[in-house]
Amino acid sequence: MTVIVKIIVRFISAMIMLFGAYLVLHGHLTPGGGFAGGVILASGFVLLTLAYGKEMVLKKLSFTAASIMESLGALLFLMIAVAGFIGGYFFLNVLPKGEPFKLLSAGIIPLCNISIGLKVSGALFLVFVVLSSMSVKGKRGK
Amino acid sequence: MSMVVYGLCFLLFLIGLYCIVVKRNLLKIVIGLALLEYSVNLFIVILGYKWEGHAPIIKEGAKAWIYVDPLPQALVLTAIVIGLATLTLMISLCMRLYEKYGTLDITEIRKLKG
Repeated sequence: MTVIVKIIVRFISAMIMLFGAYLVLHGHLTPGGGFAGGVILASGFVLLTLAYGKEMVLKKLSFTAASIMESLGALLFLMIAVAGFIGGYFFLNVLPKGEPFKLLSAGIIPLCNISIGLKVSGALFLVFVVLSSMSVKGKRGK
Repeated sequence: MSMVVYGLCFLLFLIGLYCIVVKRNLLKIVIGLALLEYSVNLFIVILGYKWEGHAPIIKEGAKAWIYVDPLPQALVLTAIVIGLATLTLMISLCMRLYEKYGTLDITEIRKLKG
């Protein structure tokens, strides 16, 4: 890509990822949540891939790191759900609820949002990397 | 007023259907399927909309606000996630087909054996 695109992407991608993290962390207070924030986080990485190429991005977030992130998200969500059995039933909000409209409140819901965000961002980044690195050798112009 | 919006949703649906039925390129068929899905999602979200309604999240100091219906939104969020997964599957299948046959034209992809 040209220099203009590279310089702009260097500024923009950090802000995109910051916005994604904001959406994930404030999922229980404002519109947004784990899935939307995770998609925005992954789109920041996709933008970096488009501007700088795959090697540079895979140095920052490698293939194994992304797949570990994805599996960890699913496992954390399951563990949070099973932890409800401490109080009685599945998905019970066992943590203290805290004061409403504050960042640290609502028990397990922010933790669920964070795990979903990890899962979605890792999975979408992996999908993009795998689809773009799949070698297509078609018989052109038959 | 709202009937016009429903009609526009149906128009989007018809565009997607046209894409699937008429086009021969596999990627254009995939785009048509995505359009179809988005039009249905839009229709379901609009069904739950209320005029001058707020997002269905309780805010500090809000007494008697009108909220939009949160149930279609939750349903559509799930549908969007599943649609993303199926879109990825379709794209990867298209790539495998292109690798095998060297074309994306469905009239030329005839051999279904081996």
